[in-house]
Amino acid sequence: MASSQVVKVLIVDDDVLTRRIYRTMLFRFGFEITEAGDGKSAVNQFLTGNEYDLILMDNDMPSMDGVEATRTLRGMGIPAKIIAITADANSRGAFLDAGADEFLLKPVNFTVLTDILKAFNFLN
Amino acid sequence: MDVSMLQRTYSDLLTSLFREGILNQQFTELQQLQDENNPGFVFEVVSLFFEDSGRLINELISNFNQQAVDYKKIDAYVHQLKGSSASIGAEKIRSVCQTFREYYDKNDIQGCYNCIQPLNQEFVTFKSKLEALFTLEQQIVAAGGSIPMMRH
Repeated sequence: MASSQVVKVLIVDDDVLTRRIYRTMLFRFGFEITEAGDGKSAVNQFLTGNEYDLILMDNDMPSMDGVEATRTLRGMGIPAKIIAITADANSRGAFLDAGADEFLLKPVNFTVLTDILKAFNFLN
Repeated sequence: MDVSMLQRTYSDLLTSLFREGILNQQFTELQQLQDENNPGFVFEVVSLFFEDSGRLINELISNFNQQAVDYKKIDAYVHQLKGSSASIGAEKIRSVCQTFREYYDKNDIQGCYNCIQPLNQEFVTFKSKLEALFTLEQQIVAAGGSIPMMRH
């Protein structure tokens, strides 16, 4: 985990509404939330020294898609858990090959996401 | 109208929205995220949807009326609309967007064009019904009642 006890999450999606929904869900767990609107912004978060425990990663985004962002972050040695959440079912293989830990199809089922967070030991 | 009558009207309206396929289970998931820390969450996200989607649909209609139609741009708008409608459980809107993209993938321009009017109509219907639902919520709360929770 990042140095703080609080789980630090980076939500990466170009849709404001989607980010709002994820933020509300994760905030209930007491997580600390940061948002990025595309893959490049997500990578820049780490390049500027920020640390996150968990990344929720969309795929279809401007400037850098989620698969490329995932590959770039793993290439940088970023150990954060990455959950790909996308409407693009065909991107599952690419995401997992790039280093994502889990893959979910949109719209996200909150119970399924909660179970994954428990499996990652982010929830007691 | 007394509180119990307002609550019954609210429940009947919400049930009908699910029965008619205007809403799906994803909307229930959003309602379950609403609590005392986020009392206006559903209203907020649906309002965001109204604003964004209204703009997207206007862009779609405007683009289709141009001499040189940019179908790639139109597909991008519909992709965005499909994603956001799916996120809030706006099932009929999502479904028309899905149909549009299937036509687009087959290069069926006429099929794409034929989706625009139904898409706009579904959006207008959705907006009207959800606004009525939120008005009832406000009336129930103002009358001292609580919003009935539905299970679907």
